[in-house]
Amino acid sequence: MARLLDIGLDRVRNLIMDMANLARESVNAALESYEKGTMLRSQIFEYSEKLRVLQLEVADFATELIARYQPVARDLRFIQSCLDIAYGFSRFGRYAYDIADVLETIGPIPDCDKSSVVEMAKTVKDMITLSVESLKKLDKDTSQKLYMMDDSVDALYRSYLRLILTPSKTNYSYSEVRCFISALLILRYLERISDHACYISDCVHYIVTADSSPRR
Amino acid sequence: MEGLVREQGREIGRPVEAIENYKVVIKDVNGWFGAKQALKNINLNIKEKTVAAFIGPSGCGKTTLIRCLNRMHEMTPGARVEGQVLVDGEDIYDKSIDPVVVKRRVGMVFQKPNPFPTMSIFDNVAAGLKLNGIKDKKLISEVVEEGLKGAALWDEVKNELDKPGMSLSGGQQQRLCIARALAMQPEVLLMDEPTSALDPIASSKIEELVRSLKEHVTIIIVTHNMQQAARISDYTAFMYLGEMIEYGPTNQIFKSPNKELTERYISGIFG
Amino acid sequence: MDGEKDWGENHRTLVHDQMKKKYRSRIIIDKLVSIFAIVCLIAAIVPLGSILLEVIKNGAGVLSFEFLTSPQGSIISGNGGIGPAIQGTIIVVGLASLIATPVGVLAGIYLSEFAGIGLFPSAVRFLNDMLTGLPSIVIGIVGYVTIVIAIGSFSVWAGALALSIIMIPIVVRVTEETLKIVPHSIREGGYALGISKARITMSIVLTTAKSGVLTGIVLGIARIAGETAPLIMTILGTSLFFSSLNGPVDALPLRIWRFASLPYEHSHAFGWGAALILILMVLGLNVGLRMLAYRKGFEIRTEA
Repeated sequence: MARLLDIGLDRVRNLIMDMANLARESVNAALESYEKGTMLRSQIFEYSEKLRVLQLEVADFATELIARYQPVARDLRFIQSCLDIAYGFSRFGRYAYDIADVLETIGPIPDCDKSSVVEMAKTVKDMITLSVESLKKLDKDTSQKLYMMDDSVDALYRSYLRLILTPSKTNYSYSEVRCFISALLILRYLERISDHACYISDCVHYIVTADSSPRR
Repeated sequence: MEGLVREQGREIGRPVEAIENYKVVIKDVNGWFGAKQALKNINLNIKEKTVAAFIGPSGCGKTTLIRCLNRMHEMTPGARVEGQVLVDGEDIYDKSIDPVVVKRRVGMVFQKPNPFPTMSIFDNVAAGLKLNGIKDKKLISEVVEEGLKGAALWDEVKNELDKPGMSLSGGQQQRLCIARALAMQPEVLLMDEPTSALDPIASSKIEELVRSLKEHVTIIIVTHNMQQAARISDYTAFMYLGEMIEYGPTNQIFKSPNKELTERYISGIFG
Repeated sequence: MDGEKDWGENHRTLVHDQMKKKYRSRIIIDKLVSIFAIVCLIAAIVPLGSILLEVIKNGAGVLSFEFLTSPQGSIISGNGGIGPAIQGTIIVVGLASLIATPVGVLAGIYLSEFAGIGLFPSAVRFLNDMLTGLPSIVIGIVGYVTIVIAIGSFSVWAGALALSIIMIPIVVRVTEETLKIVPHSIREGGYALGISKARITMSIVLTTAKSGVLTGIVLGIARIAGETAPLIMTILGTSLFFSSLNGPVDALPLRIWRFASLPYEHSHAFGWGAALILILMVLGLNVGLRMLAYRKGFEIRTEA
């Protein structure tokens, strides 16, 4: 016989998973827009809106569960964390939207060197997948892996920054500047996404062990 | 419940500080009803002027344990206790100690309010004093007033002290019983499910009372309502089938208990 | 899920239909039982009422101050009264109650509070119940043998002793039962305050059960006030007023019996009068004690 609380917990879990999928889709779409130049802005905007609405729903429902059922121990930690995790996923959607916004502002950039972004994009996409997996399985040990990946993302960002600040010629063309700006902005957003993926796995660690962030 | 630090030394009941700082020390207590053992090797240290809650499913022995702390358990025919219970370092089960005197130091409030039916409110609170030989009328009326104030009942009854005790509502009767127990100036107050028979508003008044009383008295409360234990206690002990499974700061027990059995019970998975 | 739905639908209609069918007959049975109960009630009250009416009808005419206070005059002349009998009843019954009450109440307290389920208490209870069933004439003989023969004369002591033997088991029984009704939680409340058991028993438990115990005492008194047989062998009865505790004395039941045995019309009338007085005295005692208890604040029921 399931507890009344379990029915509620299942619903929260489903909402979070929906958010996870939406978040992943929107980040993928944004990165695809960058790489291939496809116009996916309105779709990404729709995802972002949906994520915002879902986040509010999770917040509302989690509060209701706490008020009604007075959960304790792991159940309480889970519901608490869902609030943070939902926020994290809504942030993914927001950053994806920001990326699409940048692309729209900057306009088509077919000739840029997109390799840095593509490299970071791959890592970040893996990080998103890993954090969602850790959430599904409530695996507390994923955090370590994600921290290492986060470190590499940070390193990548810094190296790109150094690269473009070290001038290799005296004049840059207008289109080259647009390449640098778009790449830099997008890298920043990706770096934030990576941080949030780490926060999500921190939440998972907390749910399982009741210890908050074990890191550095 | 604010700012309680997790206790080191996860072993149950091993004191972190010196024994002298504990008001009640329960050492290797075993209890029987005839041949049936109801308490198995209980070890527990309770700090002075704190609220300790005993929780656990029906039949886990929490009421039996609390009744061992004022030597009421042995009054049941066939009941027996072994072990030591130290109050301020003195074993109440020592051969030289009179059980009747123990009950004056360790008071008790019961699940169903039990004011004496033929006595007025005043006489009820004074009963413990008068029937134990105190005759000083001034002293008695001062202690009665103090007890009723301590039980948050004074304002409601100060003009009706001669009315029968049974004319009060259930919640008021329970507070009357608390006042009666407080009049004996106990050092420890045992409460056996004091709000089980009361409506929510009366219950919450008693809960507020407990939080204010703990500044004067060490309180041990048995409750089957976990949320109540979470609300009012500083330390919580979880018992199951006569054994002490876990004891620690309430904060810790309810956020991240050490034992899985504890977690399952408080999450409502069984019991 | 389907199975659950069937359960609700099938059985619900069946059960409710069957219950409906019984509705009419249920109403009729209800009424019949009520009527039967009332008839029984009347059947129980009617004899009592008719006895009272007979006594009042036949005895009221004889009542006068002289009747109540003067000793018996000559049997033939028909004057005099039942003064000594009234006085004697009060003395003997009073003395018997004074003996029986403390013994009975204390025994009842012992059985309820201090004994348990041992051999001795069970034996005491058993003997107590047997005593209630003992024929009163036998008790009279006991009184005769122990006191009348020992002292050498019929006496008040013998009568009081015999009556107290009849009264004690009643008081013991009622006291024990009433004390048992006092909830254990009240005793526990007392123990938890560090009060000794004896104190709790006397000051709290007994006080709580006071009206029930009082009822027991009144029941006992009412019973012995009307006993005739034991009095025959112990106080003998006389036409004189009370003179000494060691001498014979008169009592109403005896007097009634004597009056009834005489062949004279006026004697019979006196008998009715005495009977009326006896009934009024017992009734008065009953009502009086209850009013006393009520004024002191005790509930008539044993538990609020």
